[in-house]
Amino acid sequence: MAKKLEKIFNECLERMLQGESIESCLRSYPKEAAELEPLLRTALGFSWRASSLQPSPEFKARVRLRLEGARLYTKQQRQPEKPGLFAWRRGWAFALTAVLVILFTSAGTVAASSDALPDEPLYPVKLATEQTRLTFTFSDAGKAELHARLAENRALEIAAMAREGKIEQAAIITEKLAEHLEEANNAIQKVEITRSEASQFMATPEEAVTTPQATTAPDETPKAPEPEEATTTPEPETPEGKKAEQLRQSLGESTSRSLAALENALEQAPEQAKPALQRAIDTISEKSYKKPQQEPGTGTEEDEGKHKDKHKDETQPTNVEPNKNQSSSQKIKNNSKK
Amino acid sequence: MLSEESLVRQAIDGNQLAFTQLYDEYFNKIYRYIYFRVNSQAEAEDLTQEVFIKALQAIGSYKQREAPFASWLFRIAHNQVIDHVRKQTKQKRAPLEEATAVSVEDPVAITEQKTEVEELTAALKKLPPAQQEVISLRFIAGLHIAEVAKTLGKSEGTIKALQYNGTASLRKILTRKHNG
Repeated sequence: MAKKLEKIFNECLERMLQGESIESCLRSYPKEAAELEPLLRTALGFSWRASSLQPSPEFKARVRLRLEGARLYTKQQRQPEKPGLFAWRRGWAFALTAVLVILFTSAGTVAASSDALPDEPLYPVKLATEQTRLTFTFSDAGKAELHARLAENRALEIAAMAREGKIEQAAIITEKLAEHLEEANNAIQKVEITRSEASQFMATPEEAVTTPQATTAPDETPKAPEPEEATTTPEPETPEGKKAEQLRQSLGESTSRSLAALENALEQAPEQAKPALQRAIDTISEKSYKKPQQEPGTGTEEDEGKHKDKHKDETQPTNVEPNKNQSSSQKIKNNSKK
Repeated sequence: MLSEESLVRQAIDGNQLAFTQLYDEYFNKIYRYIYFRVNSQAEAEDLTQEVFIKALQAIGSYKQREAPFASWLFRIAHNQVIDHVRKQTKQKRAPLEEATAVSVEDPVAITEQKTEVEELTAALKKLPPAQQEVISLRFIAGLHIAEVAKTLGKSEGTIKALQYNGTASLRKILTRKHNG
């Protein structure tokens, strides 16, 4: 019986999804109608009520722009693999600049390319120079600094392209900007990991053990521990720790400058270029440095406070609207100071 | 107007316009499906964006003969949701406070819509996982039985049984809620 009802229900549902009315379906199965009707109404009602949920048009437009940027970027990345007009240009640029950098004779072409914009002939030389520098930067701290600087360069290029109404170029560079910020964050995190490993290494066994009684002889009156020692073990200041802090601050300052440049361009750019600029601003806000999450209760009070602030930030929408009281650059700056 | 099949073929060949049309067709469905699975607007937006970026990157390797486009796309969404749920640890955001009740300007209507979405999500969550999947893909995303079967890698007969049992359970849950 249940199997039969299941079959009828599925058939009726299909018919109704094709446009047939519920009454018409029920007329076909008068014996089962009483059981069938509430089930069909539940299915259709659920479907109809769920369809009231829609994404916002702004979000839809934002993703569309992001897809366009991703597509153009992928296309551009693939281009050198194909033998064509531009393939030799990039290969030539990389080979030439690699030689120039290796021989430290970078004065001419390389210097001239440093201010090149994406629509200029020397731009591939600029990118190849940057790539070579990245290749020959071995430390995580150095990589973080370089990626932060390159991200800032990309932001300035986006602003310049948007002012000229070159939306496609701006979208491509935004993807590159996102990559640099991600790489900078990864490098800082590696420095952070080195810091925590160094801290563990520097901690003495006495500091690591949290039961002072265990180290006291049975006949001795246990001394009350010093307040600081009793509650928290201060993290030993290591050169890596200081460096990570500096890098975080430096990246924060760099992203603030980038945001300021983009917000400035937003006021001057033609209307059609504004979504591309907004996308770049959103990208910076999304990819800005976030301190690795700490388990509640494992950090100092100060750290816990920061953690709470971070959580509060994460629950906010990721897009930054330029008309808010505080600009994106100010927010990033404030975060980096925390 | 081009059929979905030829749009997909063109998108595979790198035609951006064709991909954009497919995006327009599926965007809301994917968003809705993800929203009801993760219960958070911010997370649904992130995951929806990821689904389309992944689809754009992988469209070149999609084989039309193996599965309908909708199944392929929802398979990506399904995997994204599974990965997300796995990664999600103790820190769970308060759901539905941030739910979008959209295209309605009236604050009363927005509140009603939020309550409605909340009620549906809560009812859905009470179903066994397999029924949740089928109900989401069928009634929220609007896929056909064959597409749901391909998405979940199950037979059409199994999907029909899960659809029937899921609807019967939903009815009981919603009736119980309305009766007090």
